[in-house]
Amino acid sequence: MHELGIANEILDAALFEADRHAAKKVTSILLRVGVLRAIEPGNLSFLFEHIARGTPAEGARLEIVEEPVRVECAACGVSEVRTFTPDCPRCKGSGVTVTGGDSLSVLSLDIDV
Amino acid sequence: METGGTVRIEVEKSILQSADEAAGAIRALLSERKIYSLNLISSPGSGKTTLIEALLVRFEGKGRVAVVEGDIETDIDAERIRKHGVQVRQINTRSSCHIQPSRLLSVLREMDLSQTRLLLVENVGNLVCPAEISLGEDARVVLLSVTEGDEKPLKYPLVFKTSDILVVTKTDLLPHVTFDVERVRRAARAANPAVEIFEVSAATGKGMSVLLDRIEALLAAKTG
Repeated sequence: MHELGIANEILDAALFEADRHAAKKVTSILLRVGVLRAIEPGNLSFLFEHIARGTPAEGARLEIVEEPVRVECAACGVSEVRTFTPDCPRCKGSGVTVTGGDSLSVLSLDIDV
Repeated sequence: METGGTVRIEVEKSILQSADEAAGAIRALLSERKIYSLNLISSPGSGKTTLIEALLVRFEGKGRVAVVEGDIETDIDAERIRKHGVQVRQINTRSSCHIQPSRLLSVLREMDLSQTRLLLVENVGNLVCPAEISLGEDARVVLLSVTEGDEKPLKYPLVFKTSDILVVTKTDLLPHVTFDVERVRRAARAANPAVEIFEVSAATGKGMSVLLDRIEALLAAKTG
């Protein structure tokens, strides 16, 4: 249920931006979420729908662009995998470093003005 | 359907920005006072409070230590720490599964930190939520007890990616459990190549002085 805190932060960010742009309504929120954040999209949407009631973001759709875990392999270069593993998915080498996959950002909002 | 009034606005902003701002304010407050801080994270029962007690014994007479305990409910841990005669505050997070930086900031502002050199923050016991939020700490410490299983860095990579120090605890129990320390080391290093790894047993004392020496050196490097 750590999605509740995150849903609250998304709502805050959306309402702040909506207000700045004099929006009547927020219809859609585009997010980038890294796999490492361990966020369950269904759970996040369910909670967001609940807390957004009575605000200009009521009924807004959450669209999530999933950011894969990015690992860099010392032996064969950069590659991407969908889950974290200490071995390189390509060459199976162990010299792997995680370099991405922890994003948690609001990319854009669709608003009615 | 009428769509004429809809516009897209670009935001491109971290969802955790307000939390990051509060963490920045904590960092500034601690820097100004030359206080070194640790954010201790682990599953429930991995040994966070025990490590804090060991640090309190080590730093007795060497400068003041302040402790902030985070738990969903109760002040059991704060009471345990208070017996050591140090300044301690309990944060009950209720519905939140981690200490929020804004909450820690207001607690720190209420405390008398004029003599404090070391701040120990014990986060709520879980490996998911505390990993998401910075508390402006100098070092993040993740503890993993050998009874929890050696697959934890694979299941909860974010906390291992964001921690500076990994402490494998309860190593006296290794003969009784299936726990491959090398597997943990390898996965933790993949998540964060710079992680410093320590193996300790509070029960036998093995490895404790190496860990405490290192924390003392890190503290000295910041506070002089």
